[in-house]
Amino acid sequence: MSGQDDPVQREIHQDWANREYIEVITSSIKKIADFLNSFDMSCRSRLATLNEKLTALERRIEYIEARHYVYVFLYPKVTKGETLT
Amino acid sequence: MPLVKRSIEPRHLCHTVLPRAIKNELECVTNVSLANVIRQLSSLSKYAEDLFGELFNEAHSFSFRVNSLQERVDRLSISVTQLDPKEEELSLQDITMRKAFRSSTIQDQQLFARQSLPIPLQETFDLCEQPPPLNILTPYRDDGKEGLKFYTNPSYFFDLWREKMLQDTEDKRKEKRKQKLQDPRMYDQVYRYLDLPGQVRGNDRTLEAEKVPRAPHDRKKEWQKLALGAELAEEDPEEALKHREPNGSAAYHDRSGAPLYLDGMDGPFSLAALPYSQMNELLNRPGDRMYTRPHDPPPPPPMHPLGDIKPPSMISSSSGFSDSRPQSPAQTHGFSSNTPPPPPPPLPPPPPPLPSMSGSGQRGTPPPPIPPLPIQQQPPAIPPPPTLQIAPGVLHPAPPPVAPPLHLSSPARLQQVLDKGPPPGQLDCTLLPPPPPPPPLPLPGARSSSPCPPGPPPPPSFLSGAVASPLSHSSGKKHAACLPPISDARSVLLEAIRKGIQLRKVEEQREQEAAKHERVGNDVATILSRRIAVEYSDSEDESEFDEGDWIE
Repeated sequence: MSGQDDPVQREIHQDWANREYIEVITSSIKKIADFLNSFDMSCRSRLATLNEKLTALERRIEYIEARHYVYVFLYPKVTKGETLT
Repeated sequence: MPLVKRSIEPRHLCHTVLPRAIKNELECVTNVSLANVIRQLSSLSKYAEDLFGELFNEAHSFSFRVNSLQERVDRLSISVTQLDPKEEELSLQDITMRKAFRSSTIQDQQLFARQSLPIPLQETFDLCEQPPPLNILTPYRDDGKEGLKFYTNPSYFFDLWREKMLQDTEDKRKEKRKQKLQDPRMYDQVYRYLDLPGQVRGNDRTLEAEKVPRAPHDRKKEWQKLALGAELAEEDPEEALKHREPNGSAAYHDRSGAPLYLDGMDGPFSLAALPYSQMNELLNRPGDRMYTRPHDPPPPPPMHPLGDIKPPSMISSSSGFSDSRPQSPAQTHGFSSNTPPPPPPPLPPPPPPLPSMSGSGQRGTPPPPIPPLPIQQQPPAIPPPPTLQIAPGVLHPAPPPVAPPLHLSSPARLQQVLDKGPPPGQLDCTLLPPPPPPPPLPLPGARSSSPCPPGPPPPPSFLSGAVASPLSHSSGKKHAACLPPISDARSVLLEAIRKGIQLRKVEEQREQEAAKHERVGNDVATILSRRIAVEYSDSEDESEFDEGDWIE
């Protein structure tokens, strides 16, 4: 039997081998694509967390600066007003 | 259905049509599949690069923010730890110069605009079919809108919302304005002139529109009042003569722009028709009653030395005019001797040039010495006061300009107003045309212009050209001034002035609207902040909303 359609069998055998080869390649491509997607998502979520923390810090800094400004610059103005103005 | 951001290009490896003349089809399919695999790998690498690029950009921006945050923390810690020792060193200027603390919070805006579309999605969007090219019909439209806007307008809803918000803001502002106007009207003017921080600062956008449109309205009211007063005396030129006091003062800049200007216009005598002395009186009449010096004498004497210029014409005009006036017999006599030509023709040119000359020459001189003209005195001008001042002493500047040939009576008139306009300064500056540059032009024009009647047609053209740039209503005023002198001139001038004021007010309002719309921009936060500021906060709170803070 193997000798009957040897060329055809060989061809078909070869074709199967090629297809398996191609299948390996395409599945690898899919894995790479999946990896990239998941990497992208995880990165974005981490960056978003970072962004949130940064924003919170920035707001706190604003608040502290405002309080400090009032205390350092405007408050002395009030206390020193009698002497200097 | 989620939108695919990145899709690998050859989706199907072997869904291709095989060529006919192929012996080993299986091999062919294999090769085609392998080729497509390579293409898939290339698109994959492209998307991977894009993906990592986006992540990198985001992380990079975070690094900037972290660095700036670090600097701020360091600065704050330093200033906090070093607070006590430095407290004594703070200078008073330092304290007073510090403004209120301004929070520079950045708000994220325009998150889903076309510009923020990711690149792969933008490429997918570009693959889509374009809308029909309706914009090629835009040049043929009458209303100036884009043709494509009627087919698809991405900003339709935003424009709708923005218009609604701006309208609401305007309504609220007007409500507040009405509330403010419930106070005596003076308060508004006081606010305007005092430039109170609560009103002026803060929301410039909301207040500027209030202030500017209000200004012309006030002036218009004042002018109307004065116009009514002047018009009453309009019918009786004799009265004006009697009321007119010779004044050689150039008090123009002392007087308020509106009354002075209006009075000049409403006077029974047009600029062109009045002789030099009369014009001075009329010009000086407005607002300032302090000046009651007879101005007739000053003008005539100076005219004599002029000689070569046009003294005879001027004198004749003045004399001709003065003839009708019982008050200035002496001057009249003096002039009559020198003025053989008929008064009317020379009247228009001489008076305008003289006042203009004197005005130009004497701009700098202070008004006090010039006696104020009675209010009844008509004519517009600001120029008369300056001319009177100059007349006594400084004729030099006047003569040279007068020398140039006379072209149009209207130019002279225009010149007068131009010259007189600037010096008065206080007058409605908008009404005054540019004085210094034109003097030579208008003066010659005034001289050359012979009688008043021919004046009107040429003056409008000349006036439009000369005045076009500075003020629209001044040209309108000139047109009116060129009409038959005396009685008609006043009413026409008055109408022209009123129209001018109207024009100016509308222009200013339009400019304000345009400027406001430009300033708003496309910031939702800005629009909302403005609206909220007008709605809920007081005038002081408006200062908190700084447009710059809200732009991303």
